[in-house]
Amino acid sequence: MEKENMLKNFVAGIKSVGKSIANGFSSFFSNFVKGDIITKISYFIMGFGCLARKQIVKGLLYLGVQIAYIYYMIQTGSYYIMMLTTLGTQSQGEVWDEELQIFKVVQGDNSMLLLLFGVISVCITIGFLMVYVMNTKTAYKNQCLLKEGKKLPSFKQDWKDLWDKNYHITVLALPIGMTFLFTVLPLIFMILMAFTNYDKNHQPPGNLFTWVGLENFQKVFGGNPMWGETFSRLFVWTIIWAIFATFLNYLFGMLLAILINRKGVKLKKMWRTIFIITIAIPQFVSLLLMSKLLHDQGALNNLLLDLGWISSYIPFLTNATYAKIVVIVINLWVGIPYSMLITSGILMNIPADLYEASHIDGANAVQQFFYITLPYMLHVTTPYMITQFVGNINNFNVIYLLTGGGPLSLDLYQAGSSDLLVTWLYKLTVNEQNYALASTIGILIFIICATLSLITYNKTSAVQEEDTFS
Amino acid sequence: MKNSKTKRTVANVVSHVFLTILSIIWLLPVVWLLMQSFRETPTGAFPKAIIPTTWTLSNYTRLFTETDLFNFPRWFMNTLVVAIASCILTTILTLLTAYAFSRLRFKARKPLMNVILILGMFPGFMSMIAVYHILKAIGLAQSLLSLVLVYSGGAAMGYYVAKGFFDTIPASIDEAAMLDGATKNQIFWQITMPLSKPIVIYTVLTSFISPWVDFIFVSVIMKDNYQNYTVALGLYQMLARENIDAYFTRFCAGAVLIAIPITLLFIKMQKYYVSGITAGGAKG
Amino acid sequence: MKKLLALLLAAAMVLGLAACGNTNDAPADDNAGEEKTVVTLKVWAAQDDQDMTKGMIDEFIAANPDKEWDITLAVVGEPDAKTKYLEDPAAAADVFAFANDQLRDLVAAGALYKVTRNAEDVIARNGEGAVGAATLDGQLYAYPMTADNGYFMYYDSSVFTAEDVQTLDGMLAAAEAAGKKVFMDVSNGWYIASFFLGNGGTLAIDANGNQTCDFNNANGLATAEAIKAFTAHPAFITGDDTVLTAGIQDGTIAAGVSGTWNADAISTSLGENYAATKLPTFTVAGAQVQMSSFGGYKQIGVNSQTKFPVEAMDLADWLTNEANQVKRFETRALGPSNVNAAASEAVKSNVALAALSLQSQFAVSQNDVLGAYWTPAEAFGTTMEAKDYSTDLQTLLDTMVAQITAAQ
Repeated sequence: MEKENMLKNFVAGIKSVGKSIANGFSSFFSNFVKGDIITKISYFIMGFGCLARKQIVKGLLYLGVQIAYIYYMIQTGSYYIMMLTTLGTQSQGEVWDEELQIFKVVQGDNSMLLLLFGVISVCITIGFLMVYVMNTKTAYKNQCLLKEGKKLPSFKQDWKDLWDKNYHITVLALPIGMTFLFTVLPLIFMILMAFTNYDKNHQPPGNLFTWVGLENFQKVFGGNPMWGETFSRLFVWTIIWAIFATFLNYLFGMLLAILINRKGVKLKKMWRTIFIITIAIPQFVSLLLMSKLLHDQGALNNLLLDLGWISSYIPFLTNATYAKIVVIVINLWVGIPYSMLITSGILMNIPADLYEASHIDGANAVQQFFYITLPYMLHVTTPYMITQFVGNINNFNVIYLLTGGGPLSLDLYQAGSSDLLVTWLYKLTVNEQNYALASTIGILIFIICATLSLITYNKTSAVQEEDTFS
Repeated sequence: MKNSKTKRTVANVVSHVFLTILSIIWLLPVVWLLMQSFRETPTGAFPKAIIPTTWTLSNYTRLFTETDLFNFPRWFMNTLVVAIASCILTTILTLLTAYAFSRLRFKARKPLMNVILILGMFPGFMSMIAVYHILKAIGLAQSLLSLVLVYSGGAAMGYYVAKGFFDTIPASIDEAAMLDGATKNQIFWQITMPLSKPIVIYTVLTSFISPWVDFIFVSVIMKDNYQNYTVALGLYQMLARENIDAYFTRFCAGAVLIAIPITLLFIKMQKYYVSGITAGGAKG
Repeated sequence: MKKLLALLLAAAMVLGLAACGNTNDAPADDNAGEEKTVVTLKVWAAQDDQDMTKGMIDEFIAANPDKEWDITLAVVGEPDAKTKYLEDPAAAADVFAFANDQLRDLVAAGALYKVTRNAEDVIARNGEGAVGAATLDGQLYAYPMTADNGYFMYYDSSVFTAEDVQTLDGMLAAAEAAGKKVFMDVSNGWYIASFFLGNGGTLAIDANGNQTCDFNNANGLATAEAIKAFTAHPAFITGDDTVLTAGIQDGTIAAGVSGTWNADAISTSLGENYAATKLPTFTVAGAQVQMSSFGGYKQIGVNSQTKFPVEAMDLADWLTNEANQVKRFETRALGPSNVNAAASEAVKSNVALAALSLQSQFAVSQNDVLGAYWTPAEAFGTTMEAKDYSTDLQTLLDTMVAQITAAQ
């Protein structure tokens, strides 16, 4: 059970979800058939199965949900769900107002808001259906309990369970609710946008946008050579960047930690504090500062010119190759202190007798590093590195603040040589208002990240020894 | 014997020299930032001289006196309020989630954990537009409260590190308490929490800092509402094309002012930060 | 039971969202029956214009006592207006200033009210170029506010003679002799266009609404050679406004192509030697060709989402009337688009504005430039500045034009 990998987990998860849905369906109908009149009524009036059996509070809650849902659907919900099919039909118009001497603007449908509220309405409906099914189950279960001559759980008992037996519900309700509202809902919205033509020419409020199916994906993969070319080039650079940013930071951070942890090194705390200072300065400050420092006319070039070391400025940020090197190097400055902090704690956990034994066997420091330290660290920190890698693929700050993706290149569509996919995505929304393409890229980035992490999780043995607790 | 001793001394000297060089490299930009914050003229971002020729304190004082356009004191207070509120909320949410996944066993545990892990892999920008409109629909657009919600909304997704930490607390402690008749709620508050000081501090620290350093989410949420900006966005605004010439040195001064408290916090809490993240971060 | 909490949560969410669905369609003018309507408007103005605009709004309120006004002022500069507007049109300002290159996109997005009230007066009192820049397909969409958003040449008269500044070659030679630099932001579609347009290149819009561009013909190639020579010259320097003003201040830059927004900084730095004129001529295949430029204007538009269109229009009209344009010139030295205001002696004797008006005879309208133009043009300029000649000029131009004219 312990060492199963994520992929298997997934498959198993999907299977079990499918199974429970199938089971749910069949029991939903069989319960209705087997149910008495009270149970049957509660298929139409929610909470009836509780109210009629003296679970007043619970029954009222169910009933409240039903009333609120019906009210919501009548008010706005059904409208939004209906509009989801077209994303609006009435575009903004105008009528001449003779008295005021103006073309009064007549508000049309706003496709973006229709999409968003449509998604919300669908989610509410799904949530409602879940509660509804729960309601029928409760009704049937109550019926069975009574038949067996048992007592129904009182509200007080339910309440008590929430703090012990069902503590996970109490604990998770708020976090999951917030995640749903602030992450899942927006994400669904974003994903759906990739299947529309929401771009500069279909910009609300003046214009409508609508569904276009897989057109955007097809354009990225060949339909629009410029998009495809840009995507593949930036993809390659993104991966190169993520590899360098993750592994170099990790390696150098670890070496720094080893150096500071060396027996002979004095003032360990001071050295660590020096590097921590750079963590504490907000990234946007240090990165913006660096971008000014490394500018063609910036302080560093001025200094080098004054010293006579160079005769004309070095285009740190304006030459494609230099810019790529610079972002990686500056990222070392940003990232090494972090990995130093993290690795130094773990380094101390490596059993000292391993080193002693190898020392007796005549291993030198380098050999110790490669045969003891590195394998141990890699073993322990693989999950951390995967998170870092994914984080670097999505690392917006360093690139955006340092080079702004520049220098621009004619080989790329709306992007510069040091742009990552994620900064390109940002530029597409801000400069080009091409939300459809940006969402498409967002989905592709996600697929890349998820695939990579699944593969690495699969290949590593250092996964989850957590199930020892049960 | 003597040979190996000299060898060790040489190695020690080399280590110290190397560390000194590295420290200089790491501190140089910081020192440059400090110097710029005391520079009088020119105020722009590209001074000819690397060390300022004239020094002044006015960059700092003007942050607090010239508040018509860039209301630094107000932004500072905004950020403080948001940081405190969101770090309380985030810490609670994160620890609860982590606790549930680490200590409690229920049917949806594994799938939920996987789903949350996967959710974190989507780039966040695009969804910010939707978040803005959702907040607007609830009637919270451009308010500080909405900012608190945005910063803590994703708290559950950061359960990873804290869960790793909880996993290291022996299960036998819980079991013993359960035999004594403690409910899970009691176990969490009275047994697990007191043992988890490092991870609590780690979570508080990281969530307290994020409002001070984020300039993207806050700009999507606040838009043109200058009064409710945070320091980070305000400072970022100072480097906008039309402001950078007049405000670059003040930007540096403002940056120093927010870096100082964060640095002190970090230095003070370093121990917990390290033990928090190493206990949690290294584990699945 | 777990159902309980889920229930509570669901109920709260449904109620909350039902409530928000309602606020969304709230009718706009439910207070029409009251005697004194409260007119709520929001205005966007640039950071530096805040105090001045505040004064104008106060006067507007004083001049219109028949209504109850609640006018707020927020900071959004003219260059960012379009981006900020499109983020959330409903939350954007009712009355906002923007640069004329955003007009087409704003109109396409349905962002602007047509200017129909008092339109004849607006057209009559403003210069032809300014009105043209606010007009699309024969319809006026915005109130011209300034006519100073173009560019010209600033120079240090102790380094250059009046003859030097006639030609780019003369300027470069004089600057090199003095060990100084000539500044131009070539990696910027706005500035680099002055070479292509000057040498007969055209940007237009075809029947399908796509951009056409002929910068890759023989003329364009010759122009590109000239740009290449310019950017490769040792006295050439590029960068953004900050580089220019800092360079002028410390004396490393002796001349630069920029606009009136830098006039203050540059005149302070140069003192007596402060001078400005039209852009020079440049050498194409041995002949001198006058550099063109984009004519730039700032204008005020009325948000199509406003609840008070008439009042918003009156305010926009007020903010751009002659008196306020004079005020704008007096407080911030912004060049008026108003014919009378522009004709005043004070405006004519303003060094920067005089140079701009000299250049304006060579200026080209930006109305026919679509968004697709800017990034490829900037990329071409970047390549030239980086002195990256690995691809031949013709191929670069072809790529640039292909990107500019690609169907959207």
